[in-house]
Amino acid sequence: MSISPSTLAGRGIPLYWAVQAHRSAGLNGLFLVVLLFVAAYGVLFPGLFTVSGFATFTQSWFPLALVAMAQALLMLTGGISLAVGATVSLGAVIAATTMPGPFGVAGGVIAVAVAGLGIGAAIGLIVVKLRLPAIVVTLAGSFIIGGAALLILPRPGGAVPDWFSNLLAGDTPVAFAILVLIVLAWKVYLATPLGLSLYAAGENPIGSYRSGVPVDAARIAAYGISGLLSTGAGLFVAAQTGSGDPVIGTAFTLNSIAAAVLGGIGFLGGQGTMRGALAGSLLLSLMISVMFFLGFTPVVQYVAQGLIIIGAVALPQLRRLRQ
Amino acid sequence: MTDAVPLLAARAVSKSFFGNPVLRDVSISLLPGRVHALLGENGAGKSTLINLLSGALPPDSGSIEVDGRPVSRLTPIEAAQAGIAVVQQELSLTASLSIAENIGLGAFPRRFGMIDYRALTARAKAACELVGLNEALSTPVGQLPLGRRQMVEIAKALYRKPRILILDEPSSSLSATETKILTDLLERLRGEGVAILYISHRLNEVMALCQHVTVLKDGICTADRPLAGTDAAGLVRLMVGRDPGDLFPRWKPSGSTQTAVSVRNFSAGLMRDIDLEIRTGEVLGIGGLIGQGQDDLLLGLYGAIPAKASAAMVNGVAHLPASVVKANAFGLAYVPADRKREGLHLIHSIAANLMLPALARLPALKLRSGANEDLTTKGLAAQFAIKGDLGRQAQALSGGNQQKVALAKWMPRDPLVLLLNDPTRGVDVETKREIYILLRQLAAAGKAVVLLSSDTPELVHVCDRVAVVREGRIVAMLERAALSEEAIVAAAVGADRQRQAA
Repeated sequence: MSISPSTLAGRGIPLYWAVQAHRSAGLNGLFLVVLLFVAAYGVLFPGLFTVSGFATFTQSWFPLALVAMAQALLMLTGGISLAVGATVSLGAVIAATTMPGPFGVAGGVIAVAVAGLGIGAAIGLIVVKLRLPAIVVTLAGSFIIGGAALLILPRPGGAVPDWFSNLLAGDTPVAFAILVLIVLAWKVYLATPLGLSLYAAGENPIGSYRSGVPVDAARIAAYGISGLLSTGAGLFVAAQTGSGDPVIGTAFTLNSIAAAVLGGIGFLGGQGTMRGALAGSLLLSLMISVMFFLGFTPVVQYVAQGLIIIGAVALPQLRRLRQ
Repeated sequence: MTDAVPLLAARAVSKSFFGNPVLRDVSISLLPGRVHALLGENGAGKSTLINLLSGALPPDSGSIEVDGRPVSRLTPIEAAQAGIAVVQQELSLTASLSIAENIGLGAFPRRFGMIDYRALTARAKAACELVGLNEALSTPVGQLPLGRRQMVEIAKALYRKPRILILDEPSSSLSATETKILTDLLERLRGEGVAILYISHRLNEVMALCQHVTVLKDGICTADRPLAGTDAAGLVRLMVGRDPGDLFPRWKPSGSTQTAVSVRNFSAGLMRDIDLEIRTGEVLGIGGLIGQGQDDLLLGLYGAIPAKASAAMVNGVAHLPASVVKANAFGLAYVPADRKREGLHLIHSIAANLMLPALARLPALKLRSGANEDLTTKGLAAQFAIKGDLGRQAQALSGGNQQKVALAKWMPRDPLVLLLNDPTRGVDVETKREIYILLRQLAAAGKAVVLLSSDTPELVHVCDRVAVVREGRIVAMLERAALSEEAIVAAAVGADRQRQAA
């Protein structure tokens, strides 16, 4: 996660790195907790430190990491999406129905990417240009997108070629490598004027507009990228299971919000960092795994998960109130 | 210098909002190498004029000229290209981004499509040095105190290398040192031929810094002349000199007065260590420039924000109310300035709005009596001359009548102290007069009325005493005999001290 665009933008720029250091400042506690959970997980499941064990672990985290990024991106602009889960499902069914077809895996990947970008941008256009509340538009969008997934594939089916499944979800940490590439791409995006405008557009849209920031473009682009990440997560889930399931993504909507909130992303826009959201998704993923290994029943898991999220959000608030 | 072509000029511009004229036939010329002061009271039209000059709003009539050429429709982007930079009163900064990123926002140097952080460092550093910002460029703006943020805002304008620099009250949140840096900087920019428009309420600053002054009063330009040979008192007269007309009822003293509220070393929000006595039987005015802490004074007394005092007596109780519910129980009522959001429930009926405070006093589970409520609301409507069907939504009423509802709803609780926050803002003249009469009647009936107002004439003509607030302190308590618009404005802008010193 530490590969940076400095190789692209010239080496050793002090200001860039100092800014990065400031962005990490509030996250040390979170990083520490994640590290503790990784250690606990390593004790419970010693296989973590083998190649295949690491691969399995990162594969269970990968889709959650993607949807956490998709959600955090929108929350940074002051928006939110309730359509993440449905978009994941749609990505999965598109992948499972197109890959056996004449254009093969490449055609499937392109179809998934185009669908994600297109749907995201369409939602973004509606939210931004018509000035409608994101929560309502994406709720309606989740019905439409979920319906479309069911129309394409009314019951679980389709297929992802074995070699592709083995590549993404096999014994090698390819998924982790892809995640590293995605994070790198995000760093590059954030180093462009449009990317950095996300923060300004989310926190102070009027002031940003007066300063010449392309506020609308930054927000619509965020919705497009968010859609792409969501269908990408769907493609991966289809590869993991070898087939498509039109409702497989449902849980991702709320889990993406939970991960982003755990990672310190605020609901008011412009607050938080992507590294925080990624750490949040890793923490959530670890929590689920650790509780599974400790033999918690699913019901207890849900309750514990909820309590931990409320605790994580309440802690900084309590600290602020005491001041 | 008179021959120079103005870099930016407005020619006979007018602007109305919803039929209310805000600017009428105003002209202003910004010449290179001159600091031009723009003065006027709150609501005189200064901000609107800035918005016209910077392309944020189009004028209804008249024209904006850049380098002597009329521009048909100036947009913010064209304005920026023409070298116009504005330091707005509300900051345009993003708290989570660094100082350098904020300065470059919207005009980043680029390299291969990405932000060139190396070039940004150099250029942002140059701009920061001009304003004496020595914090690390990577510091998030959210970690800076307000005055430093204001300096970042100024650096952001300088980063764009403006030919025309417009500053809207840049010094209101600056310390003395920062203000000194700013004035030195403006002197230098003036020497380099930049045209500067400077809006400030601090008259001594204006006298020291500016060469030319335009004064606006109620949207009309009352002066456009060199500053040399003008004194602070003269400027104050130009800002307020108007005819009060027949708007105000004749003032006559109420009978006896008694202390209703008294506080010592009272602090709340921006207000620091003030002593204040509120008496029944009189209208106490709270004046001063907007945002000096007057709102916090009322809210603190009302228990709506945390407040403390070394000694307090509120309607016979020896401490400040800790909550709004307590304040109501002590006999305090508050009518907020923003009646649409805080004062009324717009989509509910007028009758429901009138009943709310009365209902709060009933036992929570007691059945309501339709007949009694009918009687109460009809009585209030008659007393306050609220016309028409009380079943209509409150938003159907005019601003003035909404204000009457916001005030009337407290009457069933018979409060002793009425805290009114700018009750006549945006109210038509006829209703204003009704409200003034009402306030005098309430005082005559033995209530204590506190009238916070941004409208100086109404303070002079309606109040028995006026406390003028500046920078969180009461800087003057003017008794009836000493009340005049000049006295209030002079105290509000700090010109009284200066005159004494001179």
